[in-house]
Parts: sequence; structure tokens; C-alpha cells
Amino acid sequence: MALLQISEPGKSTMPHEHRRVIGIDLGTTNSLVASVISGSPAILIQDDESNLLPSVVYYSKKTVQVGNDARDHQSNDAENTISSVKRLIGKTIDDVNQDNFPLNLSDGDGVINIKTSNGMKNPVEVSAEILKILRTVAENKLGGELIGAVVTVPAYFDDAQRQATKDACQLAGLNILRLINEPTAAAVAYGLDKKSMGQFVVFDLGGGTFDVSILNLSKGLFEVLATHGDANLGGDDFDQAIVNFFNNKYKLNIKDIEVQSMISILAREIKELLSNKKEVEILKEINGKEIKETFTQQQFKALVNDLTEQTLKATKNALNDAKLSTDQIDGVIMVGGSTRMPCIQEAVGNLFKQDLLNDLNPDEVVALGAAIQANILAGNGQEDLLLLDVTPLSLGIETMGSIVERIIPRNTTLPVAMAQEFTTYKDGQTAMIIHVVQGERDLVDDCRSLAKFTLKKIPPMVAGAAKIKVTFQVDTDGLLSVSAEETTTNEKASIEVKPSYGLSEDNIKTMLQSSYDLAEEDKISRALAETKVEANQLIELTQKALDADKDLLSDSELTSIKNDLKDLINVLNSSNNDKIKEATKQLNTKSEPFAAKRMDRSIQKALTGKSINKLEF
Amino acid sequence: MTQNYFELFNLPEKFQIDSVKLQENYRSIQKEIHPDKFVTSPENEKVQSMIKSTQANDAYQTLKSPIKRAKYILSLHKPVEKITLPPDFLMQQMEWEEHLEAIEKNNRELAQFKLTINKKYKEYSLLISAQIDDDQNWSDAAITVDKLYFVEKLLHKINSALN
Repeated sequence: MALLQISEPGKSTMPHEHRRVIGIDLGTTNSLVASVISGSPAILIQDDESNLLPSVVYYSKKTVQVGNDARDHQSNDAENTISSVKRLIGKTIDDVNQDNFPLNLSDGDGVINIKTSNGMKNPVEVSAEILKILRTVAENKLGGELIGAVVTVPAYFDDAQRQATKDACQLAGLNILRLINEPTAAAVAYGLDKKSMGQFVVFDLGGGTFDVSILNLSKGLFEVLATHGDANLGGDDFDQAIVNFFNNKYKLNIKDIEVQSMISILAREIKELLSNKKEVEILKEINGKEIKETFTQQQFKALVNDLTEQTLKATKNALNDAKLSTDQIDGVIMVGGSTRMPCIQEAVGNLFKQDLLNDLNPDEVVALGAAIQANILAGNGQEDLLLLDVTPLSLGIETMGSIVERIIPRNTTLPVAMAQEFTTYKDGQTAMIIHVVQGERDLVDDCRSLAKFTLKKIPPMVAGAAKIKVTFQVDTDGLLSVSAEETTTNEKASIEVKPSYGLSEDNIKTMLQSSYDLAEEDKISRALAETKVEANQLIELTQKALDADKDLLSDSELTSIKNDLKDLINVLNSSNNDKIKEATKQLNTKSEPFAAKRMDRSIQKALTGKSINKLEF
Repeated sequence: MTQNYFELFNLPEKFQIDSVKLQENYRSIQKEIHPDKFVTSPENEKVQSMIKSTQANDAYQTLKSPIKRAKYILSLHKPVEKITLPPDFLMQQMEWEEHLEAIEKNNRELAQFKLTINKKYKEYSLLISAQIDDDQNWSDAAITVDKLYFVEKLLHKINSALN
């Protein structure tokens, strides 16, 4: 019989604890969930034995259906069947072409409202329905509650789209470990699988989004050098090119939702068939009109030529930003179902003059990479891998004349904080509007508006005398926060905002409450349990940190931390949630300088014993 | 980490830099302190790792770019003030700009011009190295850094025209 293990006092009490975590690819067309099981990443299979969950939600008066069940309603009840919701998330009604959606869309105070038989729904809620199914699948397969998830987003998603995706996860009851970029996730799956090193291009054409990222893969570190793309370009647009062709040739009614829905389905079938065949024969009756056509690959290639060119242009832009030429690329990774189109493979192959890497299933690779990253972040894996990603789009603020002043340029490594000083325009000016925008164009109207807030109580001075320091900070999820303060006087006017998009913190809370109708008692005991877990972890890790590095502290600092630690231990056995929280916060705050010193020590340790290389400019 | 950037990367405070070691040490540092390493850690460590990782990125970007690096060294030794470039350089500047305009569509001429300007770039870099690393002549170095800045922008324009 194996001997049972007992840990040393103060050391981790759960040495072999495996944290249950997942990776989710929330796609335009299909969504997947994966997890690392016994050391290997695997897609978690749905109840119907399929690996993909169609990203389709159907709302009837009383029920909500997701996936294949929902997709069955697309042709008979298109208005209540929501597909490609990823193309709506984080956007306003002005951002979308309503003709492309067989849905009743309207403006809902900054977010898009979708009218269904089940009431008004917004894209965050619809996405959350998909995520809930994936969460349930994962909980069933993995046998319990999840610690957290890594969820992927297109690299070219802007701040609003990222925040909205995060909100959807929260609404679905998922704890987000990180949002990571889809091409980066794909690189993780490939890089670790093939032990690849060097400069790689990830060409990721999905159902509704296109990304291209250039990465440097070295042992233990994947560094994104540049990313480019189009958050509104994907397989859907290639379908649409065929739809337009039929609409024109057969004079179909573009206002008829049923007809358009049928023709969309037909277009998609043709596109998919042409991935393996040179031509397809079509004979179909739509609304009394006979559609007879022989559709060839060449014909398709010509129809979508502009779209293909757009992807190549973005790829070249990314290479330029990374200061690399095509012959310096060691491999091109193809990701996303739409890269199955022969015209795309041919175009990309010609650009790089090399064979493309597509031996991992292009539908699955993003979810697999996300699962690997979740496993690493949770500290489960043996893999030592760090991802350094970048901001896809420049961030700036509006100045006089509606000109954008860039504060953080695109392709800056995260996390990043950058500040710039601005001044007043008029004598005695006491307030200033800070308008935050994202994009590459010089005029405000051509960029995405992220937030507008007012800095008040600037002391009155002559024009140009005030100094307003605006600081932008982007975290490792790619999410922005902005602060502004007047620095010339002691009377500080300052403000800090997290841009929010239509959905306020309160909105989310309300939505959360209605989805979890837990009894009040359950809520209280659950909250207390969570607080205690956090407190316990802090106690354990603080003790560990003191054991290892207490020599970094002066006697008084050590006594102070020890006192706070004792206070926390003392209140831990009470059932007073507030007191435990208070003591946890106190110890956390007091330990920050200690954490900083410990990190400095770990840096020093990491840097010692390295040799000097040659000097250059 | 109000620490000197050179100290952070364990490198001597010089304009001439071991760029391989800079990159290696940057990576080693991020592997220790990046927020991804603290996802399951207590709040105090999360906060500090975010701060330190951000600062390491800023320090790396500063030391990686010759112009930012030079400006950083100068900022450690003298207050930042507005530089007036000498008239002969201003004249030269105008000539270069006019020349670029004239040859904008001629790739062979552009390639030739690029070589000339690249030479200038090296010349100013060497000069900065002598002024900063050998002579500690901060005032003269500040002028050369501004010249280098202009030359770098010009190279960028030439490259855009070539593409």
C-alpha cells in the first residue's frame, strides 16, 4: 500500500491539487470547450457526441435552445433564431449593417437590442446562453465546479468587444482567468505540440472575424510582435458574396427574411462543398423561383477576390509592423474553419512561398490552446510558458479640431501604462472633456469612441497653464482604464474610469441576480465560504513568504505583518463575513511592499550568472 | 521600482548596449513577475506584479530604442530643455527633404539615398556614444540625439516610399 503524504507545517496543504479549468473558443459560427486531461489538451464533447456547439440561440415564448436544436429553427423562425451574435457584441446599432441580420434589431441605450418572442435580448445575454451550455458540459465531463476559464477573443477585438465578452462570461457564471487572443491561443497549441521555435505567422480566418499575428516562439516564451486584422471579416462575408450573386441574378426579395435565410443556408453549403470539389450543381426552388446553377471554384474565387485581398493586405501590414519580410517567417499556422477555402490557402501559400501548417484541426486549435493556457495559469501544468501579447489598436484622446492624440500606439506589449500631458484652451477653464478613442485614423469620427468623461474642478488659470495628466493603462486581458489629474496645484482634480459600454455594473448585477435565483441564506453562506477560502489562501501564502524571505523586512515591518496575520487568523473562525474581508484586505495592503521586495529578489536571482555579449547601439 | 532602468536589467549605464543581454534579461524578468504568474495569488502580489511588469515593459522599450535610451541617459544627468539645432543642420535637413520629394517614385535612387542616410545614422550613433560614454558631454550629446531623431524619421519616410 502506498504511504499517505502529510505536508510540513506552513507548506502547501494541498500539494497535488488539480484545479479544474477550461479553455473556451466562443466563435461566430461554432463554440468549443476544452480542458487539459492527464496532461493532454482535449475537446470536451457535447451530449450529442459533437465537438462543436453551433453558436446559435433560439428564443421561444417560454424556452431557450442553444446549438443544433436552435439551428433547426433558422429556416422556419428566423426572427427568433440568433446566429453570429459575435458580430453584434460590444457594438452599437450604428456599427452594424442590419441587412446582414435576419433579426429585429434596435438601439437599447448604447447596446443592441434584439426583439424575440422571449422579450428583448442583448448580445451579452445571448452569448451568455452559449457559454452556460459550455460550462455545463465542462462541469459534467470534469466532475465538478470550475475554478475558472480562459476565453478567447479575436486579436482585433476592440476594448468594447472585449469588455462585453467578459460581461457575458460573468453572466454565465464563469470566473475569467484571462481573455486571450485567438491567434495567440492557436500558437500555443501548435508551438507546444511541435516544439517549434522562430518567427511564426498565425493566419486566423473564422466565421466572422479575421486576425493575423506575428509571433516569436522561443523556449518558455511566446512573444507577439504585431497583430492586425478585421473584426468584421470572416466566412460569413464569403457566404454573403454568394448570396449577393443569387439575389442579383434571380432578383430575389432582399427584404424577405425567410427567403434570405434560405439563400444564406444554400450559400454556406456551396462554399463548404467547394472546399473539396471543383464544382457544385444546384437545383432548388426558393419562393416559387427555380434556381439552377453550376457553381465552380474559379467562379467563387472571382466573387470573393476582394475579401481575399483584404486578408493579404492585413498580413502585409502586420509584417511591416513586426519589421519582418516574408522570407524571415519560419512557419505559417492556419486557423479557423474558413482557412479550408482553397482560394485562401492558395493566396497565403503564394505570399509566403511555403507549405502552410494546418495539421491540427483548424476548428479546434484555438480551444485547445486556451485550455493549455488555462492549465498553466492555474498552476497545474509542468509547462513553463509565458505569453506576451500586444494591444491591437492604438488608443488616444480627442484634442482640439477633433484630432486624435495617440497615447498608446498599437502593438505595444502588455501590460502597459502611458501618460501624456494636456492643457486648457480658455482662460479660467474649470472642466475638460476627456474623450477616449481607439483606432489608427487621425480624425475622431473615423475611430471607435470608447468613453467620454469630464474632469471637473480644475483650478481657474490662464489658458495653457493647467497641466492635465491623462494616464492610460491596459491590463493583460487587453482592457483599458483611464485616469486624469491636474498636476500643477495641490488641489487635485482627478478621475478614474473603466470605459463601459451600454451595460453598467448595475445592469450586469441585475441580470446576474435574475439568472441565479438562489435563496438569500444560500447566498450568504456561499459568500462566507468564498471569503474564507480567500483568507485561508492568503494566510498560507503569507506564512510561506515569511519563511522564505523574512530577512527582507525590518523588525517593525515583520511585526506589523505578523500582527495583521494573527488578526486574520483570529477572525477566521467567526462567521462574520465583513470582518474576515476587512482583515484580509488589511493584510493584503500591508504585504504589498513585502511582495514588491520579494519580486525584486526573484528578478535578481534570475539575472545573476549571465554573461556579457557584444556591445552595439 | 523607481530603480534605474540599467540597474533593473543588470547592465552598465552606457549608450552602447548589449542588446542580446537586454532582451534575455527582459524575458527572464517577465518570466518572474508577469501577472500571468500570479493568477491564483493573493491580491497584494497581483497588484505588485501588474506594477512591476508594466514598468519592466516601459524600461525595455526605453533601452531598446537608441533614441529613447540616449534621452533617458541624458534625463538622468541634466534637466530636459528645448534644443536649437545649428543652422547648417537645418539647411541640410531641408535639402534632404527636397531630395526625397524629387526621387519619391524612383526605387533605385531611393535605395541609394537610403544608404547615404543609413551612413549618417551610424555616424551620429557613434558620435553619441563618444559624447555620452567617453566624454559625458551631455549638452553636445543632446544636440546629436535630436539630429539622430530627425535622421530616423527620414529613414522611415524613405522606407515608406520604397514600399
